[in-house]
Amino acid sequence: MISEIAQGFAALAHPMTFLHLVGGFMLGLVFGAIPGLTATLAIALLLPFTFGMDVSDALVMVAGIYMAGIYAGSITGITLNIPGAPSGAITTIDGHALMKRGEGTQALGMSALASALGGLIGAVVLIALAQPVSAIALMFQTPDKFSLVLLAVVTVTIVASGPLIKAMMAMALGLMISTVGIDPMVPVGRFDFGSYHLIEGIGLLPAVIGLFAVCEMIAQSAAPSSLQKAEAVAKVVRPRRRDFLPTRAHIREVGLIATVKSALIGVVIGMLPGGGASMASFIAYAEAKRSARAPEKFGNGSYEGLAASESANNAMCGGAVIPLLTMGIPGDAVTAIIFGVLLIHGLVPGPALLSDNLVVIAPMFAALFVASIFVFLSVLAFGPVYLRLSQINRGVLYGFIAMISMVGVYASSFSFFQMWMALAIGAVAFLLRSFGYPVVPALMGVILGPYFEEFLRRSLIVSEGDPTIFLRSPASVVLLALTALFIWLLRVRPALRAAKS
Amino acid sequence: MPRLLNGQVLFALGLAAMNTIYAGQVAAMDRPFATGEPGPAFLPMILCGFVYIAAAWIVIAEFRAAPAVRSTRDASDTIPALHVIGPLVAIGLTALFIITFFYAGYAVAAALYTFLIALFFNYETTGAPVRSALIALATSVGVTLFGWLFFVKLFDLYLPVWGA
Repeated sequence: MISEIAQGFAALAHPMTFLHLVGGFMLGLVFGAIPGLTATLAIALLLPFTFGMDVSDALVMVAGIYMAGIYAGSITGITLNIPGAPSGAITTIDGHALMKRGEGTQALGMSALASALGGLIGAVVLIALAQPVSAIALMFQTPDKFSLVLLAVVTVTIVASGPLIKAMMAMALGLMISTVGIDPMVPVGRFDFGSYHLIEGIGLLPAVIGLFAVCEMIAQSAAPSSLQKAEAVAKVVRPRRRDFLPTRAHIREVGLIATVKSALIGVVIGMLPGGGASMASFIAYAEAKRSARAPEKFGNGSYEGLAASESANNAMCGGAVIPLLTMGIPGDAVTAIIFGVLLIHGLVPGPALLSDNLVVIAPMFAALFVASIFVFLSVLAFGPVYLRLSQINRGVLYGFIAMISMVGVYASSFSFFQMWMALAIGAVAFLLRSFGYPVVPALMGVILGPYFEEFLRRSLIVSEGDPTIFLRSPASVVLLALTALFIWLLRVRPALRAAKS
Repeated sequence: MPRLLNGQVLFALGLAAMNTIYAGQVAAMDRPFATGEPGPAFLPMILCGFVYIAAAWIVIAEFRAAPAVRSTRDASDTIPALHVIGPLVAIGLTALFIITFFYAGYAVAAALYTFLIALFFNYETTGAPVRSALIALATSVGVTLFGWLFFVKLFDLYLPVWGA
């Protein structure tokens, strides 16, 4: 294990692999910092290119995008009060307050330092836990696997934004898309309407490109540019690079223990299906405020609050990769697309992945670690540029996204039909978004659908239709109890409290 | 629009209609457990039933909800009814791109597509047609060349550059 991880770090010394990391990191910075674009979209756009890449290089690039994209969400949040990504929303509260006080460079510097520390802690936890968790997951039987997928499906649905019924509907639609094509257990076609195109099923790539890239382009075409102009009210300054180094006083104010605690919260939340960077930063921020010496500063420009949310959301990256690689369960949209990258290269995420292919995956672990260091270096190198990132011409941006996404679908499938599918899915996803239906559960439904169905049917075949099979294994019972606990904690209890008050 | 036919209700009914097409295919499959196994229709049947219930739930919730105050949309300074025109243009141009790509190949389709998309976004932002066209032209050349270099030269992926 240690030698494979060391090989992973050594692989980054190869010029091409290192260039993939730097390229992914820069892409993540740009996409994370521009409001409306996210790391998810960047990785979705990268997906077609991974066909022509070595799998380790592709994973290294994805790790660079992931780490940089989550961090960069805070950049325009701090400078313009518009978080570049949802993960930067909590950071914006204190970051922009600091910006208004004339401490924008220090806020950006502290955000980068906390993100780097969080990212490093997340990567270390990932390296330490990945193989032990895989070993446990190898003992799972089919009913346990179904209960695990059910846990992911349920939690992703209940944490989605908006009304629960709409999130459930979106999940059902995603599961329905996954049923199109050859049945996973019996060699018969389903929902193909006699078309040989549909009998192959709807590819993961058109689904990802449609749900994120095409949908985003359509949504932006409906948004007036005057809205963005009106929101960009904060003054953009041109500081020196050394101004971005956090001062000792600010580092002492935040404290190492508080940063580590926030990072560990981020890792744990990242490991939970549906957790995500936004939830990690929100919970770490709330905990930091609860235990702070000066909680009244939170919301009015607190370095402690800023560091807590940033440390947690970058630590989440390492945590979120653990269930994906060890159990084959993607917890959010980014890991769902990483799932696709692995599948494209013939690697099936799950308990056997690390035991059979650790040498291939290890550079990704190393890349998450090194990208965390890049996060801090980036603010020193590009700090002044960060302040101008949100001013990119929309025509150039969406012309680029539109072309790359549609040509990407063709280049990866050589199928005009799949291009039409990406457009159709994008148009439907735009309608879903417009009417308040979250699209992430739909993507999770598309990805987890085949596993959900296969494990459910296999279990019922073994038990001859008796559903109590899911209550006979201790692991399955624990996972079902966890599912019930999450439903209680995240939906039922808040609803009861709201009804009482 | 009458309250009974607001957008939420129409969309939920649209989803129910799509579900009916799906249900038609489920009905043509063998009944679950007919041979002692759940079979290919098992999960689709559950999903179908759930989507009908969810659609009905959303429609009933809309009927029960207080009439929504009509919110004023943020309007564009340059393009009227952007919330309708914008998506139609984006979807229409993407459809046109796929057709052009099929008949004329990557170079023509990508250049035309990025030019028109960039023109639309720039015109919406500035309202100046000539300036927008010039920026769109530069964008079109740059993005088309970038795509060819990346897909074909760097990653060695096949693209029909001058027609399929």
